[in-house]
Amino acid sequence: MASRRRMLLKVIILGDSGVGKTSLMNQYVNRKFSSQYKATIGADFLTKEVQFEDRLFTLQIWDTAGQERFQSLGVAFYRGADCCVLVHDVNVMKSFDNLNNWREEFLIQASPHDPENFPFVVLGNKIDVDGGNSRVVSEKKAKAWCSSKGNIPYFETSAKEGFNVEAAFQCIAKNALKNEPEEEVYLPDTIDVGGGRQQRSSGCEC
Amino acid sequence: MSSDDAHSSSSEHDSTDQNPNPSTSIDQSLDAIEGQLTSISLNHRNSPLPEPPIPPPHHGIGDTLPSDAHSQVEEVGAVEKSGSDVEVENSVSRGEGVLWRNSSDVEGEVEGQGSPSSSGYAGGKGTSSSSGVSGSGIEEISGDEVDQGEGGIRSGSFGGSVDSEWVPGKRHVNEDDASVSWRKRKKHFFVLSHSGKPIYSRYGDEHRLAGFSATLQAIISFVENGGDRVKLVRAGKHQVVFLVKGPIYLVCISCTEEPHESLNEQLELLYGQMILILTKSINRCFEKNPKFDMTPLLGGTDAVFSSLIHSYSWNPATFLHAYSCLPLAYPTRQAAGAILQDVAESGVLFAILMCKHKVISLVGAQKASLHPDDMLLLANFVMSSESFRTSESFSPICLPRYNPMAFLYAYVYYLDADTYLMLLTANPDAFYRLKDWRIRIEMVLLKSNVLNEAQRSMLDGGMHVEDLPVDPSPRSGSLSSHLGQPRPPPDSADRCKALLGGPCGLWHFIYRSIYLDQYVSSEFSSPINTPKQQKRLYRAYQKLYTSMHDRELGPHKTQFRRDNNYVLLCWVTQDFELYAAFDPLADKALAIKTCNRVCQWVKDVENEVFLLGASPFSW
Repeated sequence: MASRRRMLLKVIILGDSGVGKTSLMNQYVNRKFSSQYKATIGADFLTKEVQFEDRLFTLQIWDTAGQERFQSLGVAFYRGADCCVLVHDVNVMKSFDNLNNWREEFLIQASPHDPENFPFVVLGNKIDVDGGNSRVVSEKKAKAWCSSKGNIPYFETSAKEGFNVEAAFQCIAKNALKNEPEEEVYLPDTIDVGGGRQQRSSGCEC
Repeated sequence: MSSDDAHSSSSEHDSTDQNPNPSTSIDQSLDAIEGQLTSISLNHRNSPLPEPPIPPPHHGIGDTLPSDAHSQVEEVGAVEKSGSDVEVENSVSRGEGVLWRNSSDVEGEVEGQGSPSSSGYAGGKGTSSSSGVSGSGIEEISGDEVDQGEGGIRSGSFGGSVDSEWVPGKRHVNEDDASVSWRKRKKHFFVLSHSGKPIYSRYGDEHRLAGFSATLQAIISFVENGGDRVKLVRAGKHQVVFLVKGPIYLVCISCTEEPHESLNEQLELLYGQMILILTKSINRCFEKNPKFDMTPLLGGTDAVFSSLIHSYSWNPATFLHAYSCLPLAYPTRQAAGAILQDVAESGVLFAILMCKHKVISLVGAQKASLHPDDMLLLANFVMSSESFRTSESFSPICLPRYNPMAFLYAYVYYLDADTYLMLLTANPDAFYRLKDWRIRIEMVLLKSNVLNEAQRSMLDGGMHVEDLPVDPSPRSGSLSSHLGQPRPPPDSADRCKALLGGPCGLWHFIYRSIYLDQYVSSEFSSPINTPKQQKRLYRAYQKLYTSMHDRELGPHKTQFRRDNNYVLLCWVTQDFELYAAFDPLADKALAIKTCNRVCQWVKDVENEVFLLGASPFSW
């Protein structure tokens, strides 16, 4: 029964501004797409239930703002994340180059226990644009970078067409599950009445 | 000016007087300002004669007396501050530009998508829905539909017969922050982790509120990042109160018009309840793993929290920080105490015999003392967990005020439907020994008829205002300093009889003994006999308590306040606190006199309504 319990996964989405983080989320959660660009301010939060191998997950998705001026929010936002999604626009080289910065920034701020094996997922978004003709980041290049960072799963997506979005988030759940810590038995101390380590603070003993 | 003088004279207490009962006459403190007040009240009331003592119909204050409502509030003594005037805008809301918004607004969407998209309680949609919520705190009491969780007070005394119909447990699980009904709930409580993972929500499913929970964490963390701390946000009628306890964040969102100090204390108790179940060692789990999800450890405890939150609307112990005893004849309580004392001497840390929320007797091992808040949380835990009723249990529990870091073990056994025994020990192997003790205790209690007496007391109730002795009791001669000079106005007898409730328009009172950490309240009687009225009176007392204990302006000694619903009189000395509610047309001099009588009455029956001789409860 305990293993059947619902798990809540905190998922952080990072990437340069305008790469389509909010659009991906909206496509995934609401199955909606708007071509109008609105910058995310601070962060948006969405919730989505996912089923994976008989288990029910709630993804708590933290859609962050890509603009640099919001990066001070870091520590608070990244704390306790179960998975981090790095997004770039396959039509903008700079957004791909910056993946490394985003990854490092995340690892510094969130300081997970096992940074080498922390679950990331990389999404190359906007593959639909211009029929793929304006594409500058090849799949090969992206995959090469991912494998150099400990075999990060890579997905090519189109938030506009809803392509591969579902698969990408399924993978996020799978990865987070893989990384689930073993349940420890919760065993606080028992009060030691006779012994010396009595707990009283500074109260008087009268 | 004269009021200041009067006030300071009343605050002169004989510090050598250890009597837990009145040593000062309230007449002295209030009479001196009487003249001043009479002129004030004459300004407001054309006729000095009371109108027929029918309580005004149930209205929002603003509805009936838009212009006069405020001036109807008379205040005395040092208390200058009426609850409605309180202007406390704390540190908060530095992030003026709302940084968190409902992401569905991005597309101009409205709710109704398959999964809740989240945030902005008070933003966008929140604002529109909150304007749909009916206004004042008074209306809130009648707003059962939106406020079902709190609506169920039965008649009976505070802390006495808790309603039998109110069922603890999670409410409205299918709601989330996109539901209109959820947004209209008057009082939300949330607990979340420092990573924004939901731990508890009073209404709705925690997982479906994950986005909302993240928003709360973002707000708290954002302010923390600036080296500040968010305590309170006011948004229209709503107050958002934050409490950070290490890695655990607690938030209350309320439009009940309760003082934010009260809401903060309620969050403290909620945290205490969590510690009672898990101990503060839970912090270590978060240190080791910020992703830690503590909800599995709290599995099955929804009823404990919902019942605690429910008690915030009927149990005065939640704001008085005192416990109450079941009224019993002195020898009966003594008999129970004697056998508990034997157990305590055998190595049990605390032995507690309770009937519902009231203590029959209680004994602590040497030097061990039990905080009233711990008792409240322990009793709530035991009473709201159904499994304790069906078998004898041995359960780890933590007393947050005794030692928040470690567990004790509680042997719990129900002797009958209402009466239960709790033996607390540090020894995890003590079950069988305590079971043997329980059998002995049970025999003694049966033999001395304690259980039957307890049942009878539950039925009869304790102090009824109608029984307040009108004539000075025979013993009052020796206690003249307390009684003051009894010089009843000529018409007092007639008027007393004409009113509902007790003499002189007395409707209800609570007396809290400071030395004993105990309180006694009168049973509810007409006209305070519907749940709605009881809850309203409870809230009025709560507000009064807060204003008396105001950290900046207080503490205060006396307060006399008249509004459409009541005359409220509060009198605080070093020995006791008295809260009394009268007919709104009650005469002030008579009300003051009646309070003296109540104090005398409590003194006369203290053997029965209090547990005496127990060691002091705070060290």
